[in-house]
Amino acid sequence: MNRTVLIVGGLLAATLVGLLTLSLDRDPQAIASPLIGREAPTFALREIGTGRTVDLAQFRGKPVVINFWATWCAPCWEEHPVLVANARRTPNVQFVGVVFQDTEEKIQNFLNARGSGYPTLVDVEGKTAIAYGVGGVPETYFLDATGKIVAKYNGPMSTDILQEHLQKVMQ
Amino acid sequence: MKRLALLVIALAVAAPYLVHALQVQPALKVPDAEQFVGKPKGTALAGQALYLRTNQVAALLRCPVCQGLSVADSPSEMAVNMKGQVRELLQRGYTEAQILQYFELSYGQFVLLEPKFEGVNTLVWLLPLAALIGGAVVVYFVLRKLSAPTAGQRPAANAPRPDDPYLARVREMVGGEGKS
Repeated sequence: MNRTVLIVGGLLAATLVGLLTLSLDRDPQAIASPLIGREAPTFALREIGTGRTVDLAQFRGKPVVINFWATWCAPCWEEHPVLVANARRTPNVQFVGVVFQDTEEKIQNFLNARGSGYPTLVDVEGKTAIAYGVGGVPETYFLDATGKIVAKYNGPMSTDILQEHLQKVMQ
Repeated sequence: MKRLALLVIALAVAAPYLVHALQVQPALKVPDAEQFVGKPKGTALAGQALYLRTNQVAALLRCPVCQGLSVADSPSEMAVNMKGQVRELLQRGYTEAQILQYFELSYGQFVLLEPKFEGVNTLVWLLPLAALIGGAVVVYFVLRKLSAPTAGQRPAANAPRPDDPYLARVREMVGGEGKS
């Protein structure tokens, strides 16, 4: 009986340790988006500053980067200059910002102070964020020229990370 | 002539504003559930039924920005927005299955508070059951072992029986020696 208990206990412990070891290099926050490989949810939202309506469909034919962000999110501050610089550097890719749970006034002040290189849109009742499965900001989606979501990145991006993801949509 | 000139000037001044006013802005559009799960397959709800059903369906969804709270229970803005969307979809006649599928297509199975009985998820349902049965088996064997007489209580196989005539004779002899 003691030998059986030892063997069964040892097997269970080995299985648990194996599973834990396999998960060591996995980010528990990184949940794969089921939208990858699917057509991006369509939207037409109002741009902060100009008031014009920007329709995602108007960018069909070129890769699009959709960045969900807010002024209350510190990593978004860190990421903002990277996005603006890269948007200016790669004009064949359309960058779009979508405001997540923030006020238009704060966003406008932020953009006035820190500059912008692409349209920033106001979400309506968070419906766009929900359709894209946004659970926190910043979250960035990469769409290819056909409007299909190719990649998603959670967290602030460096130029290297951004360029690495852009390569996927520009292929 | 003077009037005509005034009209021309007025039109020239107003022209940019008129052009701007006449520019038709495309209507605002948010992603719609129809793109994900098609047309509603149920009955449109209203009033008290809508209120109750909204809470029931929202209780099946996990709030993505909370720690283990359902959309029905969380006061966060995200959960409030999600609950609002559940209400709107029920109002439009979407079924519970369609609504859950809609959120699952955006967030994955993570958003469902009850994991589906499929794939690796079956382990979530079966492992506790297996552990329960295994535990019951272990308890059964342990109890059976405990209720059986222990080695100290059990007479040894070669122990003499109390009514053994040989033993009685030895006792008698030993007793007799003691008496002499």
